[in-house]
Amino acid sequence: MARAMELRVVTPAQVVFEGTARSLVAPAWDGLVGILPGHAPFLTLLGSGRLQIDSGSEARQSFALSGGVMKVEDNEVTVLADSVEAS
Amino acid sequence: MAQAREVLRRIKSVKNTRKITRTMELIATSKLKRAMDRMVAARPYSDALGELLRSLRAPGLEQDHPLLRQPAETKRAAVLLLTANRGFCGAFNANLIREARLKLEELEAAGVETELHIAGKKGLTFFRFRGRAVASSTIEIGDAPTPEDAEDLIASVRDKFESGDLDAVYLVSARFRSAMSTPPRTQLVLPVEPKEGARSVDAFLVSPPPVKLVGRILPRYLTSVVYRALVENAAGEQGARRAAMKSATDNAGEMIDTLTRSYNRARQAQITQEIAEIVGGAAALE
Repeated sequence: MARAMELRVVTPAQVVFEGTARSLVAPAWDGLVGILPGHAPFLTLLGSGRLQIDSGSEARQSFALSGGVMKVEDNEVTVLADSVEAS
Repeated sequence: MAQAREVLRRIKSVKNTRKITRTMELIATSKLKRAMDRMVAARPYSDALGELLRSLRAPGLEQDHPLLRQPAETKRAAVLLLTANRGFCGAFNANLIREARLKLEELEAAGVETELHIAGKKGLTFFRFRGRAVASSTIEIGDAPTPEDAEDLIASVRDKFESGDLDAVYLVSARFRSAMSTPPRTQLVLPVEPKEGARSVDAFLVSPPPVKLVGRILPRYLTSVVYRALVENAAGEQGARRAAMKSATDNAGEMIDTLTRSYNRARQAQITQEIAEIVGGAAALE
């Protein structure tokens, strides 16, 4: 089982985060979802809330996110958010 | 000395003009850099969203999503024209305006009712001067367009398309081939055209169900297409301005050389004449 996954957080105007992550918690439209490495292919609509990324080395990063879609495939996570602010 | 002084004055004026055009060239260069960064930064989102949309595409989705509706015939179409707010950028605006006019003429010749939406002062001034009805316009979008600008721009047209008032929406904007080459182009943004070739999402856990998800993604996709066009247009404007101002600066330099030469000639002619007069006067005394 893989220990880490590739994560990209993208807004219409810029790439907010790009790198590896050990886990993340995202605000889906119907509640929080946690993604760990090796997750099954998954596609979900996002609501608004906190996006938390554990990238292993550094402290846990947290963003305020509002709206968007998240795709998990082949250990690669792509978060397409309407807007993201560091928090 | 009258003629020489005249030339001197012109040299001074051309030098001042050159100072201005050179400054504008420098400003455009630095704005171009930032505009290109924005253009590059906008790419990952719209590429990823476009791919996602293609992979979610399934037959029968048209019934549920008015934005995917493929009208059998086009009765009413909208043309959305993006131009710059400012001039001094060569043929940039003129090219865009011509492209839009050709598209409008083409549509009208085919018996399609058209409406025109404009972003940018240059396009608006032109069509207003020509006395053409403009359905909506904005001159608020600056050098750094935001996704919100794109949303505002497309929202009304999108609603009209959804309700069936429009059958097609074309977007006229500049393509950024390079800083030197920014040709206009017309894109069909609505209906969203089916594209093939993406993998299907059968293996995915999808929540909410694809039918609902597509409904949420479509408007975002549309906005991102418009946003990309906006940032590309802004970069194109700066590129065109830099090129125009560079050639203006070069021309001013050439003009100064020519004028300096004719000033020197006039001055020399004056001196020669004065010597001739003195020699003539001295000869008369003998």
